[in-house]
Amino acid sequence: MQEPRREAERTTRQPDIRPSGAPAGFEEVYLLYAIRLRKIAVRKFQIPFTEAETLVHDVFATYFMHAASVRAVEPYLIGAICNASRNYLRRADAADALFCGEVPCMATPDDALLNEVTRKLLLSQLLAGIGSRCRELLHRYYLNGETTRAIADVLHSTPGSILVFLHKCRRRALTAYRSLSEIS
Amino acid sequence: MDHVPESELAIFAFDPDAMPEPRRSIIIRHTAECATCRTTLDFFAVAEDDLSDVDVWEPVIGSATHDALMSYAARIADEDREAEELLKPLFEAPAKAAWLNLHTQRRFLSGGVVRRLSAHAHTVCLSEPLDALTFADAAISIAEMLPDYTYPAKAIYDLRGTAWKERANAQLFLGQCPEALESLSRAERAYKHLASPSLGLSSVALVRASVLYEQHRLDEAAALAERAEHGFAHLGDDERRMTALYLRGSIKFEARNFDDAAALFRHVIEYGESMNSTAWVARGSNALGKCDVHRGNLNDASLHFHKALAVFREVGSASERLTTEWGIAQVLLRSGKVSEAIRRLRDVAADFETRGMVTDAALVRLDIAEALLAIGQSRQIVELATRLFHVFTDAGMLTGALTAIAYVKEAAAAGTLTPDGVQAVRTFVRRAERQPALLFVPPPPRNR
Repeated sequence: MQEPRREAERTTRQPDIRPSGAPAGFEEVYLLYAIRLRKIAVRKFQIPFTEAETLVHDVFATYFMHAASVRAVEPYLIGAICNASRNYLRRADAADALFCGEVPCMATPDDALLNEVTRKLLLSQLLAGIGSRCRELLHRYYLNGETTRAIADVLHSTPGSILVFLHKCRRRALTAYRSLSEIS
Repeated sequence: MDHVPESELAIFAFDPDAMPEPRRSIIIRHTAECATCRTTLDFFAVAEDDLSDVDVWEPVIGSATHDALMSYAARIADEDREAEELLKPLFEAPAKAAWLNLHTQRRFLSGGVVRRLSAHAHTVCLSEPLDALTFADAAISIAEMLPDYTYPAKAIYDLRGTAWKERANAQLFLGQCPEALESLSRAERAYKHLASPSLGLSSVALVRASVLYEQHRLDEAAALAERAEHGFAHLGDDERRMTALYLRGSIKFEARNFDDAAALFRHVIEYGESMNSTAWVARGSNALGKCDVHRGNLNDASLHFHKALAVFREVGSASERLTTEWGIAQVLLRSGKVSEAIRRLRDVAADFETRGMVTDAALVRLDIAEALLAIGQSRQIVELATRLFHVFTDAGMLTGALTAIAYVKEAAAAGTLTPDGVQAVRTFVRRAERQPALLFVPPPPRNR
């Protein structure tokens, strides 16, 4: 039997190396997939957010080490976060965690998840442009779940004023959203 | 039409029930017809939910993870550049690398040097396995010297695993099968330290399957090749998946399970066609042709071989072309056109010998021996075996293959040679190429 049974040739594709700093290709891949991978770890495997961030870091750290051998980045990274999550959850023999059991991986993000990631990236960009006071207010109210009374106490204000401020901040976000939409 | 004030839309988005009737119904009706207000409402509705998600508040660019990874990636790029410069002279004079003891020299102690040495070992493995072994050993000696904390996330173990895997690859090509299995165990142990070891472990499974195939441990080889195939499929690495699938076909073929082998090679052809890869179509067709020869589907076999030959004449290696021509001669042989088949087989054998491919030449000549056996020309088999003996001796291949050839000669002279005997010699000669230490045991005499 004619035999191409040796491990397949390494791909010759190399990341675009910039004169100094990280290769551009690495940063591009990180920005494109980091949130998606974190989302998979949190959503599909119920890994706590901070632990998921560590897993994403570890997945990229391994990927950077042998990026030239990776032929299909997206399925590689999804498979990697899937295995890393399973390893985290089971702490079992790594060989058992080689596969998720399904091809494509059951953690492969569907359109809804991809849309959500895109939408939240946009919202994240909007928040960067609405000013620090608005960001802080929205952060307290939405993410920390603080009441208007609690926020008012900290800011030496009244709950009614906080509601007005919240409304103004939402409007700012809406304005930023409209201008971004026009640009795009 | 008056638009709904944004303040009302914001309240409605947050909690529709908080909006009293009839205003709530008016907003519902209005937003159903007004795209502007609907867009605003959608924004508020989505933002209300999304703003509670930590992802929205965690910046990607400038985050601690981003900064750490980019600085790490920059370091890898710098190491690779330096390693390229350092190792260039050694790649041009591989013997130097053997006695330089790279791991004792500080300037060589970097992950970049390990990566580059492993990559080079992989590149030269097929043509220069001994050099590949030297480079893989140098990569291992450095990788094992580097502290475990050299890189974040235990990534040093990826370098160690890869270096050991390349050592196993080289050992496979040098016929050092037990040593290759030991190296693969080391590679596997290293990869298991990683959070995401799939690529490394799948590669280990593939190389281990190849070693076991060489050792004729076909069941174990088949299980591992399948494991590798699934692993690569999971990673979306279709090229490596096909290599594993092709190996599975070869294992089935070796086990003389030609139907299953044919089914696997058909997958290879389908993949090649879907990817517009003439190389995979030709490889699959050639292999499928061999299966069909054994299954007695000679017309199909001929079609497959000619399809493969058309590609190999354009883009394939001489070895691939000759192997396909060999297949066509086998079709003729099975079709009863013995003289024509023997003529073609002699041409193919001579071409293999000219190119120094002694084992392949011997295997073709064993086909000739089988043809001669079928037409009762034992004396010619004796002459053929004598010639084979000289070819092997001239090539310095003083292995068990010589004993096997001697067996053919003696059995033919005694009139006891059978097709099964020729098949036993054929299997042995193929394995002895990679495992020179193998001993030939003649098949038991046929019951009379």
